[in-house]
Amino acid sequence: MLVAVILSTAFLGALAVYFAGKLSPRVRNVLAVLVALTVAILTAFLYGHKAQVDYYTIGFLDVTLSLRTNPLAWFFAMAITGIGLCSIIFSLEYMKGKERLDFYYFAMLLVNASMLGIVFSGDLISLYIFWEVMSWSTYLVISYKGGKAAAAGLKYMIMSVVGSCAMLLAIVSLYAHYETIDISRLSTAMQSASAGYALFILLMCAIGFGVKNAIMPLHTWLPDAHSEAVSPFSAVLSGILVRMGVFGLLLIMYGVLTPRMLDKLGAGMLSFSYILCWVAAITIIIPTFTALLQDDSKRLVAWHTVGQGGYMIMGIAFGTTLGIAGGIFHVLNYGISVTLLFLVVGAVEHRTRGQRDLNQLGGLAKRMPLTFFAALCGICGFIGVPLTGSFVSKWLIYKTLIVEGYPFLAFAALIGTWGTILSVYKLLHNIFLGQLPEKYKDVKEVPFSMQLPMIVLSFAILLFGILPGIPLKAIGRIQSSLGLEPLQASLFAMPPEVGELNMVNILAAVAAGCAVAYLIFRLCRKSRRVPQSDTYAAGSYAPADKYQYSANFYERVYQVIEPYVRDRVDAFYYWVVEKSEGLFDGIRKVYTGNLNTYALYIILFLGLLAVLKLALR
Amino acid sequence: MDRAQIRKILKSPGKWGQKYSLWVVYFCTGCGIIEIPPVITSRWDAERFGVIPVATPRQANLFLITGYVSLKTLGAIIRTYDQMPDPKYVVGFGSCPINGGMYWDSYNTIKHLDKYIPVDGWISGCMPRPEAIFIAVTHLWTLIDKELANGYKRYKEEYPYYEENQRQVLPHLPKFTGAGET
Amino acid sequence: MQFLSVIVLPLLAFMVAVLFLGLSRKITARIQRRYGPPLYQPVIDVVKLFTQEENISHGPVFDLGVMLALGGSVAIVLFIPVGGMLGLSSSGDLLVVIYLMLLPPLGMALAAGASANPNASIGVSRKLILALAYEVPFLLAILAVMIYGKTTSLMEATQSQQSSVLAWGLFRLPLSALATFLILPAMIGMRPFDMVTAPQEIASGPLVEFGGKYLAIASLQSALHLYIVIALFVNLFLGGGANAGTFLAKVLVVFVAVLLINAVYPRFRMDQGLRFCWKWPGLLALVGLIIAMVSRG
Repeated sequence: MLVAVILSTAFLGALAVYFAGKLSPRVRNVLAVLVALTVAILTAFLYGHKAQVDYYTIGFLDVTLSLRTNPLAWFFAMAITGIGLCSIIFSLEYMKGKERLDFYYFAMLLVNASMLGIVFSGDLISLYIFWEVMSWSTYLVISYKGGKAAAAGLKYMIMSVVGSCAMLLAIVSLYAHYETIDISRLSTAMQSASAGYALFILLMCAIGFGVKNAIMPLHTWLPDAHSEAVSPFSAVLSGILVRMGVFGLLLIMYGVLTPRMLDKLGAGMLSFSYILCWVAAITIIIPTFTALLQDDSKRLVAWHTVGQGGYMIMGIAFGTTLGIAGGIFHVLNYGISVTLLFLVVGAVEHRTRGQRDLNQLGGLAKRMPLTFFAALCGICGFIGVPLTGSFVSKWLIYKTLIVEGYPFLAFAALIGTWGTILSVYKLLHNIFLGQLPEKYKDVKEVPFSMQLPMIVLSFAILLFGILPGIPLKAIGRIQSSLGLEPLQASLFAMPPEVGELNMVNILAAVAAGCAVAYLIFRLCRKSRRVPQSDTYAAGSYAPADKYQYSANFYERVYQVIEPYVRDRVDAFYYWVVEKSEGLFDGIRKVYTGNLNTYALYIILFLGLLAVLKLALR
Repeated sequence: MDRAQIRKILKSPGKWGQKYSLWVVYFCTGCGIIEIPPVITSRWDAERFGVIPVATPRQANLFLITGYVSLKTLGAIIRTYDQMPDPKYVVGFGSCPINGGMYWDSYNTIKHLDKYIPVDGWISGCMPRPEAIFIAVTHLWTLIDKELANGYKRYKEEYPYYEENQRQVLPHLPKFTGAGET
Repeated sequence: MQFLSVIVLPLLAFMVAVLFLGLSRKITARIQRRYGPPLYQPVIDVVKLFTQEENISHGPVFDLGVMLALGGSVAIVLFIPVGGMLGLSSSGDLLVVIYLMLLPPLGMALAAGASANPNASIGVSRKLILALAYEVPFLLAILAVMIYGKTTSLMEATQSQQSSVLAWGLFRLPLSALATFLILPAMIGMRPFDMVTAPQEIASGPLVEFGGKYLAIASLQSALHLYIVIALFVNLFLGGGANAGTFLAKVLVVFVAVLLINAVYPRFRMDQGLRFCWKWPGLLALVGLIIAMVSRG
């Protein structure tokens, strides 16, 4: 019952915001924040509440649509509402002065609501309905700006529809086989399924969820869509929307099919899980290295969304306790970090009048210190520096891959981190470090409503790094509910049988080291601050605006790896489109759209029928 | 090292550090720089005196003005000297910084370097031998001990005098016109 | 007892690091047939830099970056066991150590970026590319060690080699040990891989605007990093040490070997360095990993 309250608040709230916008912009803004806040608070208070609600019966199909809650749903719901709230608060100032804002807030809240619907759905048709609502409302927000954004949105829509069709095929096939679409009943029914049928269902669903999660080779929509969308929505997209694919995969792989079934799929090494792990490995390596060659700040972050998704898929597909816990935990950590970085990039865009070109920016740490600190936390979250949450989730994934004896997968995961390090340092350096260009020397820090989500998210990523037990306990409950062995983690450490990881001791060591360094620093004479123009330039004076090393930051690596990270998949899809257009042109010759031709066809066909009738008498 | 030396070091470790770790800015100011590579390489080995070349003035505390100083070079010398952190020492190497040397009647060189930056010692010759650099370094040690090598203090206290001289010959230097000092 | 080792380990690391700096200059000098500075020259240098009357800073990011660099290095020292002294090794395994090793370069990269000098930015870009270069063989080599010992714990990897000389990683995983030794100069930043701080090319790279106490802290940090890398190598492949004495003797031997290479070789270009590290050490480490996988089970 209460679950339905959350969902209806979310949907009706979205509608109310649209109409409130007709009244007054201020009312609309306040209402948007209130709706997002209410949904977040409701989710937080009702966390863990068990419920199953039947809300609609389709008479002629004899199926009941239902909602249900389980630990997995609550975990994702908390992430959805949290990230949604942060981006709505950020949008208040960021979107001020833009047009069609009623529509924007309505669509943002609708996306939020539909994601909540997906996680709370108890049967596959509800899942499909909410999935489709999410897909097209996402399309609406991506193409909000028009121009290149419309093209990016169309690309997203086409690929998403292909995925949804695959998913629909699987759902219909399941209904035809088992006469039910209820997820809990399907999981018991599928115990008796044959391995071939289970593999078919899994593949269809994997295509559907894989398009959303941007697993290679289904990833090509993501860099365009995420970089052309407005920054607060890019945050929601990268943070939690693409992870609906992870949610779906978890549901299908462990909710509907159990681990025992998964073991049966395939022969020895070529099991579905192992192949999915390798697909995930490639998804980690190639995008993180493509990211370091990007010159557009949002595209760089978007490529990481593809790459880090590989970690989550690898953890989940690998199937061990640590792996699944690591994969789910990484969803949360990466969601926080990427939301943070997209908000940072949005803040920089806001103050520099839309500058996304990394080669034109520089030195903004002096003018936007809080944004810089948030960027630093976001970057540490991407890389997985110890004391951030991503370190713990990646540690879990590495540990399980090594201890189970899969070093090449572990190597892929480890080297992906290095690609990440290179690319995010370029992002940080080209925006915040180096020389400040003349035209940005009066840039101010962003207003408080934009700072607040960044502060909260930075705090969150550090909190989950030092006290990973808080989310890991919730993840343990998820694992138990899916019938898997839960991860036993204490508030800040792992038990000895899992491994040696004590975050508080690591924090103490780093803090002690920094305290020693600070003491040494303070014992010496105080420093004199010099302006950025007083820098070494071989005896001459640094030329203003020409003394920044940004372009071709990784030229040497580019020379060596460029042939391997070119996006051939994207080129392949465009080739398919080209060839199909030839086919469609041919069909156009027959289906001319001209009424006269159609009349001619009808007369000719009737004539043919008459001739046949006479001939066959 | 005997006990007296150790007591001296403990009384003033700063001086001990300044003396036995003189890092030279590797800025080739004039023709005299040709004498420096032999000094810092194996044959004459300046490293046993603690003298090593460094690439940037931020890391250096000794500035060797080797050879004649043209006006253009003077701009770079002043900028480099300003960028070095205190305490810093300047040694004029060769006759040209002392009194113009071979270019005593040139329109383009300056004749008395210590009008523009304070100089702590001179090495005369055209060119001096590498051993002369070592003698100069040991003399500089004595001066540092007796606290007579205070060119950098003079620069700060009598800065208007130096600035006036600098402005006279180099009026277009960006530090006077204010261009580009953000 | 372990609490005491937490205090002793960093002090030991500092002393060894400073000794190594002096030793490196003396041995390099003798190889180049000259006398060289006294062994305690780094002490004089550091004292000079700390007692300098004026320190020049480029802002709070500059200051905090340098402090983070040294702090991170001191923290890492606590996680590397030395003979019987375990420090905090039970709170962090080898994965924690290699990820903590990201903190000092991050600090230096922040400080170098804040100094607003393209030479520093070029230096940092070279450092990151070099890190990518040596990480490929390094990760393959340590994966071989972890797969062979079926553990990610540095303590266990060290203790499993204590039984006899033939149990050392050097003899059990020779190819991985050789690959790691080939890239040790890259990890430390010694020739032929010292292009990061190339004084002649990019005016000291990240250290271009460092003077006074900043340079002192940066030198201490790079000396500590030298100790950390060689200590890791000794723990993984040379059997650690039954006590601090044997451990430090092994560290000295490895250091002198790396120093001899440093004294003789010129500098690689960046792309030459990248290709070298991925070619020979990479191949050796890969073959070593496959052998470790096969011989494990």
